[in-house]
Amino acid sequence: MSMKAEITITSTIMNSTLIRAAMGSLLLGGFLHSFAQEFIQDLGYSTVVAEQSSETILDGLREDEVLKAQKLDRKISTTIAETIKNEPDIAIRSMGPAAARPVIKGLSGSHVTLTEDGSFCGDMSATSPDHAVASEVLTAHKLRIVRGPQILSHSFATAGGVIQVEHNDIPFEIAQPQGAPTQSAAVSNIQIHGYITDYAESGQPGFATVVGVNGNIHGLSLKGELSARNMGDMQTPNGTLKNTEIKNKSIAVGAAYSFERFHLGASFRTFNSNYGIPGGFIGGHPNGVDIELSKRDLTLRGLYLPAQKSSDTLSVTFRLNQYHHTEYETKEYVGAEFAVNQENVRIEKFIAQSGPFFGIHFGGEFDIRSVEMGGYVFTPPTNSYTASLFSVASLNGWRDGLEITLSARLGGAFFRPQESIVADKDAIEDRNFALWAIAAEFSQRVAPGKFLTLNVFRTTRAPTIEELYNQGPHLAAYTYERGNHKLDAESGYGAELEFRDYGEIINWRAAVHSTWFLNYLAPRATGDTNWSQILPIYQVSGDDALLMGASASVETVAETGFYAQAGASYVCGFYQNENWSDMPQIPPFKFHGEIAYLWTHVRTGINTEFALAQNRLDRYEERTPGYATFGASLEFHWSLTLANYSIILRGDNLFNADVRNHLSRLKSVMPEKGRNVSILAKAEF
Amino acid sequence: MKRIHFLAIAIFSLIFAACGDSNSTSTEQHEHFEVEGWRLYSAEWDTLYSVYRGKEDSKLPGLKVNANCMSAHIHVKFLDENKKEIAGPNDDEHSLGWDVGDSKILDIHFEGGWGFHLKGLKKGETTLILKVKHHDHADAKTPEIKVVVDKALDADKCPFQEDEDDPSTSSGTEHEHEGGNHNHEHDHE
Repeated sequence: MSMKAEITITSTIMNSTLIRAAMGSLLLGGFLHSFAQEFIQDLGYSTVVAEQSSETILDGLREDEVLKAQKLDRKISTTIAETIKNEPDIAIRSMGPAAARPVIKGLSGSHVTLTEDGSFCGDMSATSPDHAVASEVLTAHKLRIVRGPQILSHSFATAGGVIQVEHNDIPFEIAQPQGAPTQSAAVSNIQIHGYITDYAESGQPGFATVVGVNGNIHGLSLKGELSARNMGDMQTPNGTLKNTEIKNKSIAVGAAYSFERFHLGASFRTFNSNYGIPGGFIGGHPNGVDIELSKRDLTLRGLYLPAQKSSDTLSVTFRLNQYHHTEYETKEYVGAEFAVNQENVRIEKFIAQSGPFFGIHFGGEFDIRSVEMGGYVFTPPTNSYTASLFSVASLNGWRDGLEITLSARLGGAFFRPQESIVADKDAIEDRNFALWAIAAEFSQRVAPGKFLTLNVFRTTRAPTIEELYNQGPHLAAYTYERGNHKLDAESGYGAELEFRDYGEIINWRAAVHSTWFLNYLAPRATGDTNWSQILPIYQVSGDDALLMGASASVETVAETGFYAQAGASYVCGFYQNENWSDMPQIPPFKFHGEIAYLWTHVRTGINTEFALAQNRLDRYEERTPGYATFGASLEFHWSLTLANYSIILRGDNLFNADVRNHLSRLKSVMPEKGRNVSILAKAEF
Repeated sequence: MKRIHFLAIAIFSLIFAACGDSNSTSTEQHEHFEVEGWRLYSAEWDTLYSVYRGKEDSKLPGLKVNANCMSAHIHVKFLDENKKEIAGPNDDEHSLGWDVGDSKILDIHFEGGWGFHLKGLKKGETTLILKVKHHDHADAKTPEIKVVVDKALDADKCPFQEDEDDPSTSSGTEHEHEGGNHNHEHDHE
């Protein structure tokens, strides 16, 4: 955007979005909001004049799709994946309710990167379906699905995506609850902000709670937060699915301080989870598997704000992560154990505007990771090192209403496996991968409030250590997994075309996407059996594949009165062979819709969700039937005595439908959660 | 202001110190004893049951015992990927384990090593899964083997008489014996 850009739209509802679009970059955890560029808005004529924007209009519009505040509270569930399941292109890979991980555009595993407060989420959820995401969803202040070229700030896998979880553990900015009267203390040197949220449900009987306090004392900001979750076995229409309980605990502390133009912050977060993987059926462990995991993250972050232009920040983030994961076959006996130690340094420079470019951020990321295994894990201990440089920049001015964002990520991944009794000596081979990915997004305003966007990209990813070196049974996943140490990096070329229309009554968007993968890496059922363990053999292979899909969503814009919203996603994938056979683990067509009525403090609605049967199957995959569910919700939000309160009652799957998730390893055993009544109560002061 | 600086440094130091402990595994990785099949012999080395790559030999008599009686010793052998017969591991880490489908019908008497006796409790049919236990875990297991328990006989009419003085004899529906290093190898071709 040039120094002064004028954007005229037809809908007053668009104003808030475009104002946000005209404000500073959000890339540093919201810190840069305080550097909001000057803007003038004329509500009467729906005109926004923005100066020195550091963000494209499209990214500003995407910011509206971030799950936060009431929008997040309304969708809160047991896990991050469950919470975002109705966002466009999202599905869930699961193996019981705890081990649920988001899938984006049919891509799972390391195609989907999770970050917490801008840095990696150190867990092993990408490597196996029984591994949970080590993050408590109730402690998230925002959940953002990063799309387009911005993905390359965090990952090489542009075909998939990044899910950002924001805890705001380093309290650079103490948020005030929206709408709450300003505290008298705020004008003094001491500010306090607290929140307490409780969640309970019947579908997996139990509760979750989080209590947090942020304070600012003479410029030193502090944060403390505790959370606990204790949920029992999942109730399905066919009865109780045993050994699916979840017990989580997290503690987070953080501090931030400013020295003139330097801002320093640190945080420490622990997350502990005990959860069960069901068993007792053919192919499963007789008694299921109990998993204990713990994660500790130490994060240090420094920001430098140049005197001449404080928006052009330099940030350095260091995260030290320790992750420990133990799978118990019985109370005493360890079936598998993992210890991961990871250090990551991320240096990022942000420049609001330079020449024809704006919203420039570039930097580097360096990562050291060591993985030790114990018990019956058949992957050798491996150290890995990754280094990458990334850059994202936008420009406009060539054509009226056209904004272009360019991004690139270059780097390498280096694997150093160690000798191990469990590994074939020939397979203990150092592997190095050079990686590069690029993306270019062209967003054209074709009419007031209407945007046509084309994103073209090259995607890549290095194989994981399990994909390279694993060779043995994985009892919790009921599979015998074979890696291949000769694998090459996955790569592919793709495009996404999206149309957005922001009108006076409704906003809608529709997108189609396609990626041509060269060497798509995935474990595929071979049809063979390991006869020693009597487990199906999955072999990681690299095949050329074509993935295509589409999504659409529509919602009304009224802030009170009648409200309706609907969305649908579809994806299909084919291997390049004689028959163009179907790829495995592709979610079926899914639709969800909601009709609600909004008063100032009350919201009530009914909703539905349905999925078609998945008949497009890879070898040895089983068909999954479709389903339809219906739900209802009732919400109250109000402010009283310097605090905001919310109560959200929700009924999901009210008719107790038999829901089978095609991406669940348990789909042939038991359905998903049945009728579920939940309540979320929240107070912020 | 100095106090705030000091407090800030102290908080950062505490946070840093909180992540100082080492993080490593407490268990070692274990190698697997991999087999492709199992073969069970009678005390006279007649083949009773054989399974190779999931396929059972239906021509064999299978496992039978009378209620109230104990079978003769049953020897356990294994088949490798070439269908060559191999003995069970001869170390302290591996032992024979089993799961009985219906413990009211059948019990197992274990004498150490790679062999066992069937003990019929009640007339009926049930299943038996044999395992190669490695510490707490099964390196290998059979499919469900059908076991027929015939009508009850008087103790003195049982084909095999239980040696009540055998100190190594133990029983249970889920065997957790460790360190079973009793070698009951017999010469046979």
